[in-house]
Order: sequence, then C-alpha cells, then structure tokens
Amino acid sequence: MEKVIVMLRKAPYGSVYSAEAFRTIMGIAVFEMDICVALIDDGVYVLVKDQNPEKLDMKPLGDGFLMLKDFNVNRFVVHGESLFERGLQADDLVLDAEIVDNETFTKIISDYGRVLPF
Amino acid sequence: MVLEGPYQHQAVDSAYHFIKAAVARGHEIVGVFLYTDGVNTINKYINPPGERNISKQLSELGASGIDIVACTACSKFRGLRPDLKVDNVRQSGLGSLAEFLRAADRFVSFGD
Repeated sequence: MEKVIVMLRKAPYGSVYSAEAFRTIMGIAVFEMDICVALIDDGVYVLVKDQNPEKLDMKPLGDGFLMLKDFNVNRFVVHGESLFERGLQADDLVLDAEIVDNETFTKIISDYGRVLPF
Repeated sequence: MVLEGPYQHQAVDSAYHFIKAAVARGHEIVGVFLYTDGVNTINKYINPPGERNISKQLSELGASGIDIVACTACSKFRGLRPDLKVDNVRQSGLGSLAEFLRAADRFVSFGD
C-alpha cells in the first residue's frame, strides 16, 4: 500500500489550499492508500473546533475531517510547536491527533516518502 | 504536481524545466498533474507576445508521450471547458493523481 502524506501548511479560508488538501485526501483515499494527514504552521488552524465561516459565504472545513475515518484515513499528525505558539492545545482540535515535536515530524515525513504539500 | 497558475508563479516553468532535465538524464516521467490554478496552463488561447508559451510547452511534452492531466473539477471552477485546452493534454479527476502516486517512485510538487 502506497504511503502518502498530505501536508496542510496554510490557514483554512484565506486561500484554496486547505480545502483542496481535503478534497485530495478524499479523492485518493478511495484508492486504498496509507494516508497520513499532517498539519504544520497555520495549517493547524484547519482542525480547530467551532469554525464558522458563514460570513465568508464558505463552509466550515474542520468538521469534514471527522468523516475521513470512514475512508480509512486514521492518522493525523500535528506539529506541536506550530500548535502551541498559536496559543492552541490538543483539546482545541476537532479530533484526536498525534502532537509531535520537530524531530518526529521530520521522521514521519521521511518514512512516508510521498508528500503532497498544500 | 503543479499547484500554481502560469505567468503568475514560477511553478509550472520549474516543472517544465525539471521534466526536460530529468528526461535528458534518462528518467521516466509518469505524468504531470495540474491542480488548482495550475489547470490554467492548458488554455489554448494563451498568447503571450514575445514570451515563452507555457501551454505550447506542455502540449509538446504531451506529444512526447508524457501524460499531462489537468484536474477536471478545478477546470470547471475556472471555466476551462474541454474545447479550450491545447492538444496532447487531458482533463481527469484525482484518480489520475492517485495513479501517478502509485506508478512513480518519486513524487515532486511545484508551488509555494
């Protein structure tokens, strides 16, 4: 089974990248790949609870990630430093993710090999 | 995978030169997936006076046998109808990206 990391690095609504990352995960998950969702930098905001982008005429992105389990996407990794320096904690996220340090994050990327950065 | 549009960003130029260089060194390019604004690269009406024509460059790569795919959904979002594309490229869904990921031993993305 091919191992793929989809890496979210940008905030959820200012640009299309995070939404496209989500669509990519959905799109390739049906091909039975071993997918790891990794969040770093402003990408950590994508999984924050209680998003309400109604005034932007957009749909909330974070809750969508909850249904990825139905597509056998079960691994979510968050770069701890990015999370903490934004004043966030694991409890602020919509799902249970592995909060990892720099070294572990780097090792996971290396382990998966194929990286789709958004 | 190319994640940015032509002329606005260097991504597709870098991809083009990377492919030329890789092929020259004997590597096989399984395919190119044009994603988000990257799909604008295949518009056949691209006509930059006195500058490189990126859509023609990609069409030439396609003619040489490299599978050039622009995301169908992204194309629809941007009004890029099938009749607007250059020859030797095709529009297809994320399944093609999955196929490329499966077939290649290296995956390279171009964008910010």
